Amino acid sequence: MKLFKKITFTALAAVFAVTASFAGAASAAGSLSGKITINGSTALLPLTLQAAKEFQRLNPKVRIAASGKGSVTGPQAVKKGIADIGACDWDASIDVPGFKAFSGQVANKVAVIPFATIVNKNVGVDNLTTEQLRGIYSGKITNWKQVGGADADIVVITRAFGSGTRVNYQAKALAGGDIVKKEKNYKETGSSGDMKTAVATTPNAIGYIDLVYVSGDVKAVKHNGVAPTTQNVINGSYKVWAYGYYMTKGQPTGAVKAFIDYVQSKKFQQGSLKKLKFIPISAMK
Amino acid sequence: MSGFSRSRSSSWAVRRDKLATCGFYALGALVMLLIFWLLFAILSKGLPGLDFSFLIRQPEEIDAGGGIGPVLFNSFYILLLSLFISVPIGLGAGIYMAEYAPDNAFTGAMRICVEALSSVPSIVFGLLGLAIFTEYFGLGLTLLGGGVSLALLNLPMLARVTEEAVRAVPKELREAGYALGLTKFYCIRKIVLPVALPAIITGICLVAGRAFGESAVIILTAGLSTSGEMWDFSLLSPGETLAVHLWYVQSEAIVEDARQIADKSAAVLVIIVLLINLAFRAPLWWVKRGRGR
Amino acid sequence: MVQPTYDSTPAVNGSLHGKADSGRRHLRHLFANSLARYYFLFSILALCLVLGLVIVFIGKTALLLLGQISMADFFLSFNWTPEEDKFGAAAFIVNTFSLTALTLLISVPVSVGMSVLTAEIAPVWLKRFIRPILDLLVGIPSIVYGYLGLTVLLPLLRRASGESLGDGLLAAALVLALMVLPTIARISDDAITAVPGKYRDAAYALGSTRLQVIMRVVLPAAGRGILAAVILGMTRAIGETMAVVMVIGNTSQLAKTLFTPASVLTSNIVMQISNVEFDSTWNYALHMMAFLLLLISFLLILVIRFLGRKRREG
Repeated sequence: MKLFKKITFTALAAVFAVTASFAGAASAAGSLSGKITINGSTALLPLTLQAAKEFQRLNPKVRIAASGKGSVTGPQAVKKGIADIGACDWDASIDVPGFKAFSGQVANKVAVIPFATIVNKNVGVDNLTTEQLRGIYSGKITNWKQVGGADADIVVITRAFGSGTRVNYQAKALAGGDIVKKEKNYKETGSSGDMKTAVATTPNAIGYIDLVYVSGDVKAVKHNGVAPTTQNVINGSYKVWAYGYYMTKGQPTGAVKAFIDYVQSKKFQQGSLKKLKFIPISAMK
Repeated sequence: MSGFSRSRSSSWAVRRDKLATCGFYALGALVMLLIFWLLFAILSKGLPGLDFSFLIRQPEEIDAGGGIGPVLFNSFYILLLSLFISVPIGLGAGIYMAEYAPDNAFTGAMRICVEALSSVPSIVFGLLGLAIFTEYFGLGLTLLGGGVSLALLNLPMLARVTEEAVRAVPKELREAGYALGLTKFYCIRKIVLPVALPAIITGICLVAGRAFGESAVIILTAGLSTSGEMWDFSLLSPGETLAVHLWYVQSEAIVEDARQIADKSAAVLVIIVLLINLAFRAPLWWVKRGRGR
Repeated sequence: MVQPTYDSTPAVNGSLHGKADSGRRHLRHLFANSLARYYFLFSILALCLVLGLVIVFIGKTALLLLGQISMADFFLSFNWTPEEDKFGAAAFIVNTFSLTALTLLISVPVSVGMSVLTAEIAPVWLKRFIRPILDLLVGIPSIVYGYLGLTVLLPLLRRASGESLGDGLLAAALVLALMVLPTIARISDDAITAVPGKYRDAAYALGSTRLQVIMRVVLPAAGRGILAAVILGMTRAIGETMAVVMVIGNTSQLAKTLFTPASVLTSNIVMQISNVEFDSTWNYALHMMAFLLLLISFLLILVIRFLGRKRREG
C-alpha cells in the first residue's frame, strides 16, 4: 500500500504546485505584451502556423498561440475578446449568406484561396458547367449519365453548413445555388481531409475542396471548361476562388499589426505562402 | 466425479459446457484477430520509416520530414497534469460514494448524474474549458486549460470505476477489520484499497488512454500550435498534443507527407498507450509476485 | 513478561512506553480518520461542482431557446433546417436511441463474452496476454477509428449491401461497438474476478459444470459490476463523436434503414457548433441538444438499472 500512499502524496503535492504556479503565472501574464492568439478557419491554419513560426524566429519575445475550429469562430472569438486575430474564409465585416456582418471589425486580406470541384477517379466526366453543378447539388441531376458520364448514381459529398469552403463554393461555383440534402447518396463531412478521403474512397462521388489539397488520389474537374490551376486563377479565367482574411477588432496595433504586416509582406507572400500553394494577394489586381 | 455414472441431463450439461467453452474461445479468437488486424493496419503503415529523430523534430508546414517533438512532450505534460488533478479527486469521490455516502435516493441520483456526465460529448467539456480559462480568466490557449479540462472530462469515469471497485470488495474483509477495532480510514487504506487496487488501476489506464487520444477538448482549450520549443514547461504555453496534431495533419495540413506523418503519429500513439498501461500495471505484477500470489 | 534484548526499548518501563505509544498511535489514527473523511467529502463536493458546472453551462444557454421557438416544435418536428429557422430535433433524438440500441446489441454480448473468457475460462498466460491488448483499444484515438471506418469498413459495407455510399447507423454502430468493447469487457472482467472464489467452489461442489457456474452463480453475483460496465460503455458510445461523424453521413433526417445517411445528437452538435454564432437560435438549439443528451443518458441509465434489478429479483 506504500505505492498507493506515495501516488496520492505526489498527486496532492503536484496539485498544490500547480495551483501555486498557476497563481504566480497569472500575475505575470499581465506584464507580457507580445502575446497573439489566433483562432478561426482551419483552411488558413497551415499558413498561420508557418507564419507564426517564422515571425517568432524574428521576434523571440512574441508568443503566438493558434487554433482553428471553423471560419465563423474567428470573428466571434475576436468579438468576445478571446482572440486577437480571427482567421475567416470570407469578409466577416460585411453580410454574407447565412452570416451577419461583425460590426467594428477590420478584414485584412492575407491570401487568395482557389477551390476545385473534385470527383472520384472512377468518374469519366472531365468538365462540369455551373448549371450542371447546380443541378447536381440541388438534387435535380442524380445520375452521371445526365452530365455525360457512365450510368451510375452520383454520390454528393459536401461540407457542413457554415464551413468557409462551402460558403465560397456555393457563391462562386454554384452562383448562389442551393445545396439540398437527399435521402440517399448524400453526406456531409467535417474537414478538408475527411472530404478528400471520402471522395477518394467512394466510387462515383463528387465534392469540393481547397485547390491546395488536390492530389493524385482524386480528380479535379474543369469548371465551365477552365482547369483549376493557379495560372488560370491569376489570369482571371478560373472564377472559383476567394480571399482569406484575418479579422481584427478595429485597425490592428502593436504585435498584432506587426504579425499581419509580416504575413502581407512580399517576403512571406512570395516565399512561404507560394510554397504552401496559396496565391499571393498582390497577384490579383 | 468421473467415478459416478451421469444421468442424461447432466451429460447434456457437460456437452453444453464444452460447447460453450469452445464458443467463448472462438469469440476470443475472433476479437483478438480483429484487434490484431487493427493494430497491424495502424502499425504496418506507421512503423516503417519511424525513427528516433521523428520523435524529437519540430513539425513542418512546407517541407516534408516534419517531426512530432514538441507535441509529444505536450501530450505527456497534459496527461500528467490531468491525472494529477483527476486521480486524487476521482478516487476520493469514488471511495466516498462507496464507503461513506448514505444509501438513499439522493446518493442514487448523484450516481446516475455522474454516469450521465460521461456521455456528454467531449466537445462540450472543451467549450466549458474555453468559457472558464480563455473567457473568464483570459489566459488564452494554454496547457493548463487543456489539462484541467481533460481532468474534468475524466473525473466522472474515474469516480464510477473506483466506486465499483471498492464496492466489489467483500464485506467480510471490512468487518474483520472493524472487529479488530480499526478506524474506518485505516480499514479502507489497509484492507479495502489493496484489494480494489487492480480494478482502480484498470480505471486509471482507461482514462489515461482516453486522455492521451482526446482531441476535441485540446483543440478548444490548448490550441493547435506549440511554443516552438522542445522542453517548454510553462503552463501558459499553447499545448498542441499528439492526438490533436494527428487530427490536424489528417484534416487540414498541406505538407506533402501529411499521410505518412498521420500514419506514424497514430503508430506512436498506440505504442505509447501500451507503454502507459505497462507502466501502471508493472508495479502491480511486481507487488503480486512479491506477496507470492 | 521478560523482554528479549533485541528490542531497542529498554526492558524497564517497556510496557508503560508501549501503552503511551499505542495511545498516541490511536489518536493519530483517529485524526487521520477524520481528516480522510473530510478529504473524501471534499472530493465528492469537487465532483458535484464539476457536475453543476456542466449542467449550468449547458443549461444556461439551452434555456435561452425557450423564448425563441416552441418546445413542441423542437421535440416533435423532424425538420432541422437552421438556414430557414427550422429547429426540429426529433430525427436526431430517434436516431440517437436507435444507434445506442444497435451498438449495445452488438457490443454487450461480445464484450461480456470476452470478459467471461478472460476472467473465468482462459489460462493465466492467456489472460495476461489478452487484457493489455484490450486496453490498447482504448488508446487508439477516435479519429484513427474514424479513418479506418472510412477507408476500410465503408467499402466493405458498400460491397456487402450494394449501396453506393454505405454511411449510416450500421457503420456507426460497428465502429462504436469496437470502441466500447474494452470499456465494457475490462470493467466486467474486474467485476467477475472480484466474485469470491468460495461461491464457485460451492457451486462446483454441488456438481455444476463450468457453464452453469458462470451463468447461474458468477454472472449474477457480478451483475452489479457488469451493469456498471455496460452503462459506462453506453455513455461512452453516446458521447463519442469524432469517429461517428466520419461514418454516419451527417444528414439531418430519420434513419429509416441501416444505410440511410443520418445524424445523431452528438454528431450534429459537433458538426455544427463550430460554425454557428454564439448569440443565435441555432447555437441555443445545439446547447439544448447537449442538455437533452444528458437527459437521455439519465433515462437510459434508469432503464438499464431497472431491468437489471428486475432480472435479479426474478
